[in-house]
Amino acid sequence: MKGQHKEVLFGLYNDEEVLMSAIKKAKKQHLDIMDVYSPFPIHGMDTVLELEESRLHVVGFIFGMTGTLTALIGISWIFGGSLMFDGDWPTLFGGKPYWSLPAFIPITFEMTVLFCAIGMVVVFYIICGLGFGVNNPILDDRITDDKFCIAFQTNGMDEADMDKLKGFFSATGAEEVHTKTI
Amino acid sequence: MAMMGLGVLCLILSFIFEPSQIASGGYHARFWSNFLHNAVFFTGMAFMITFVIAAFTVAYAGWYVVFKRIWEAFSQFLVPGLVIMLLIGIAVFLHFNHLYHWADEEAVAADEILKGKSGFLNKYWYLFGTLIIVGTWIFFARKFRQLSLQEDIDGDQVTNFKYHRELRKYAAIFLPIAAFTGPAMIWQWVMSVDAHWYSTLFAWYSMASWWLAACSLTIMLVIYLKSKGYMEVVTKEHLHDLGKFMFAFTIFWTYCWFSQYMLIWYSNVGEETIYYYERKSEYPVLFFGNLVINFVLPFLILMRNTTKRRMGTLFFTSAVVFFGHWFDYFYMIKPGVLINAEEAMGHGHGAAGHATEHAASFVDGFTIPGLIELGVFVGFLAFFLYFVFNQLSKASLLPKNDPYMEESLHHEVQPYE
Repeated sequence: MKGQHKEVLFGLYNDEEVLMSAIKKAKKQHLDIMDVYSPFPIHGMDTVLELEESRLHVVGFIFGMTGTLTALIGISWIFGGSLMFDGDWPTLFGGKPYWSLPAFIPITFEMTVLFCAIGMVVVFYIICGLGFGVNNPILDDRITDDKFCIAFQTNGMDEADMDKLKGFFSATGAEEVHTKTI
Repeated sequence: MAMMGLGVLCLILSFIFEPSQIASGGYHARFWSNFLHNAVFFTGMAFMITFVIAAFTVAYAGWYVVFKRIWEAFSQFLVPGLVIMLLIGIAVFLHFNHLYHWADEEAVAADEILKGKSGFLNKYWYLFGTLIIVGTWIFFARKFRQLSLQEDIDGDQVTNFKYHRELRKYAAIFLPIAAFTGPAMIWQWVMSVDAHWYSTLFAWYSMASWWLAACSLTIMLVIYLKSKGYMEVVTKEHLHDLGKFMFAFTIFWTYCWFSQYMLIWYSNVGEETIYYYERKSEYPVLFFGNLVINFVLPFLILMRNTTKRRMGTLFFTSAVVFFGHWFDYFYMIKPGVLINAEEAMGHGHGAAGHATEHAASFVDGFTIPGLIELGVFVGFLAFFLYFVFNQLSKASLLPKNDPYMEESLHHEVQPYE
């Protein structure tokens, strides 16, 4: 939908409980919700919205494994003795074997966490379309503060459907209803 | 009751069936080590729960209040715990057993290291230290429960915080006391089985083990009580948080376990390394099995969000963890006791027992837990549960007037699921 303007009809709610029951009603009436905005994360919202489970943890796992392997292969390449490496700079510490796994565990662990964390943050930013020079349109400033919002996309919608949506908002206790083109 | 009978029977059996390798010594090491193992395990759980009640109270935690009575009942087990620990203490005092190498005066006289430690490791301190320290714990455990019961009678959730304030005061006093006395008791009861060896991480490691055992038993007990129709107010949300505790402390336990292992392995001090050398070469089942049941299984099972919210999975994992930490204590105590017994036999009393050239063969009841060990475990568990249910029946299952009751009733982790 990039580049194309969206016409949006949105209702603002004062309370997250009201918002959640409104979402449930919308789902029951098979209304096509474009998005829901909230100043803070609400646990269980994704279940109610029937969103697909996020695949971010898969990304996390892949980055984590990359970190683990980087650490293990790196250490093995330096100290040698295992994993088909001869050792670029074999060093003896305390009479231990060149390749002594217990000593590598902390470093491997740290590398796993580092790769996983940085990788997930970057991917998360990419998925959400955040980043330098990006200007995300915002429906109403107050949804970053104390308002909860349900938004419907209304491109090419006729009057009857619009009225139905407005009726939905007034029936579920929305405080304000606005339209905006973004 | 039948289970308790089984436990007593198995204790007697373990007294008779001494493994052939050490039978000629006449120390009844299998009996005493079983007794010590289970006594320490269950008494420690009661202590750790007392500590956790104090910590939660001081930290203004509210969510646990709905099942607080279970923990109060656990903590009361310190009283029978003291009695059984004193039995062991008296036996050490009168040389009825050979659990501890340091209890052997002739051996100590010939051993510089043990002589240096004898200010702490001596039979007087073992007996009276146990009495004083566990007595202090009992004082606080009873105080916590007494205040909580008083609150039921004439407290008030909204206006009268008198009892809760007093509870918090006692909890704050108990925390530093427990922090010092807990490790002291662990060193005395468990670590001194290997009298030459010491590890500063040992107390962390074994206290984490106690807490995990107590936490998993709490989960199982709550699920059981719920299935019987009690404690409807304890919901999935509370169990989810208990599951998280179990998950987090599983990792903490592994962290302690690994740190202790790695530091000793790396520093390469002979007196310390021998501890792990013996365990790895002669008790591989204990050594690696410990890691599998206490880390790999709970870690992989509890990692997902949903497994902590399913009663069946949670119950199963708790059972694994509970058994796992009993197994962990088995691993801490049994090899050391066996070595002590063999040394005492091989060298006679009075020899400095540095050498540990005992036979690397299977020893009944020491190499892995045998049926008799499991029977003793079941017996002690039945006794513990009998005591806990008895305590539970004495008071309302819900602390009616706890100021955090409302918060606990509305505790929600994933409310819109």
